[in-house]
Amino acid sequence: MSVRAVRGAAGVAAFLLVAELVVRFWLAEGVVFPPPSLVLVEAALLLADPGFLAGVAATLLNWALGLLAAVAVAVPVGVALGALPAAERATRPLLEFMRPIPSVAIIPLAILLIPADVAMKASVIVYAAVWPVLINTLYGMREVDPLAKDSLRSFGFGPLAVLWRVSLPSAAPFVATGVRIAAGVALILAVSAELLAGGSSGIGVFVIQAGSGNRTDLMLAATLWAGAAGLVANTLLVAAERRLFRWHEARRGVAE
Amino acid sequence: MRRTIPALLLATTLALTACGGAEQASTGGLEKPVIKVGALPIPDAAALYIARSKGYFKEEGLTVEPITIQGGAVALPQIKSGALDISHTNYVSTFLAAGRGEKIKVVGDLYGAAPNTFDLMVAKDSPIKAVADLKGKTILVNTLNNIGTLAVTSTLKSAGVAPGEVKFIEKPFPDMGNALAAGQADAAWLTEPFITATQVQPGLRVLADTMTGPTAGLPIAAWMATGEWVAKNPKTLAAFQRAIGKAQKLAAGDRTVVDAIIPTYSKIDQAAVTKIALGTFPTDLDPARLQRVADLMLEFGYLKQPLDVKTLLVSPTG
Repeated sequence: MSVRAVRGAAGVAAFLLVAELVVRFWLAEGVVFPPPSLVLVEAALLLADPGFLAGVAATLLNWALGLLAAVAVAVPVGVALGALPAAERATRPLLEFMRPIPSVAIIPLAILLIPADVAMKASVIVYAAVWPVLINTLYGMREVDPLAKDSLRSFGFGPLAVLWRVSLPSAAPFVATGVRIAAGVALILAVSAELLAGGSSGIGVFVIQAGSGNRTDLMLAATLWAGAAGLVANTLLVAAERRLFRWHEARRGVAE
Repeated sequence: MRRTIPALLLATTLALTACGGAEQASTGGLEKPVIKVGALPIPDAAALYIARSKGYFKEEGLTVEPITIQGGAVALPQIKSGALDISHTNYVSTFLAAGRGEKIKVVGDLYGAAPNTFDLMVAKDSPIKAVADLKGKTILVNTLNNIGTLAVTSTLKSAGVAPGEVKFIEKPFPDMGNALAAGQADAAWLTEPFITATQVQPGLRVLADTMTGPTAGLPIAAWMATGEWVAKNPKTLAAFQRAIGKAQKLAAGDRTVVDAIIPTYSKIDQAAVTKIALGTFPTDLDPARLQRVADLMLEFGYLKQPLDVKTLLVSPTG
């Protein structure tokens, strides 16, 4: 693990060094771009800016709300569709039509229809985050070992007991993967909604303000923190998956 | 001693509650004592923040929550949905919407052009020396079919270049300096703080002020609300107009007040603020002055029908 961390840090440092050199020496003459060293300093200073911190809190709150709501919708629907093949076939065309619609494209519609700011932002996050969870849940339900289901049935267990004892535990790791992918998508939408709609505070709102004030360095510094939030969320979710589903990784032979 | 702390807390709570009660009493009569007002984080909106910091809204029993908007065009669906009560907008967007039959009202004038607040700029070593040289060239504006293209088209016409003889490309203000330096376009229509900043880095040159002649002192920004909101909340609107009017007078009369407030709500820092050119802060809704914008829009085909601006204005009463 520590060797991995050292290698990761070396990669980041090399990237920053190359970026710094490119910005300072290889940009076309007259092109102005803040070098990474300046952006990093501004990013550190942002931690002392109460306005920015309030914005981060607002963005993360919308993100958490949207993600939770998406999971609350997508998991039951995915399980139901997975357990009832006829229902899955009936809804498939609609789902396949809605899934590729770029979520960012529905933000203007949400702005027009939903007056409450948090509800508007959370709902576009839900729309984007539902798909990875739903699709992964569906696949998880399909991958359930038929032999295990048959064994329980032959012992006289009813369909609900089979769902509870075999299908759900077997699909759970897939659901978790779906949630992890959805978390990343949800963060993108949380910031995009702010960039398009504005608001009283948020990472995206801060970027609008920085842009209007000709502060590209601040725009990049805020973006850096958005990326950091995504990285932390992903790391936590990967750790949680490893802890909860150790047996699953062992069974699938995933070695890391 | 231990007892005194809860007693103190109780006393403070009672005092606070009493204050709250008194405040609520003074809001009596307003249909909506708490309103959300959209504003762009640029110098135009200074009066909103001056009125807040000076307590002018509170004097009227009004609590104003400022919301950063992305632009006047996005703010329109937000006032229609009720996400915003009143919003900052620009006249061209507003009159375009009114021309489409949207029921919107202008409830206050906000910002007008002054010399060098909206300039056409070119790269330092550009061969373009005069507006007439722009024939056949590419010009960057922040939004197509809006105030930028209108002001540039009018400026081009005065120099004998027809609107069809240039190509407009949309680009955000912060990216224009680099685009010109990299040769992606020939000229850019910029506003402050970008005009001042890009002259230093990457060293752009001012080609022409687009707010001269037919566009001299052109009205730029306004407060808007929907016709429905105005009809439902006459007292709230009057309170807003009184408070913002006081702040606008202050802004019009004393630049130091504006310089002090801009860094509190925008990312233009104190050092930059004192250097930039500021527009005017008009203190009344003058139909004759605003009609010029609609007439210019008609002349250049932004409006298909003449628009009587008077029908959109809701002036402060008394």
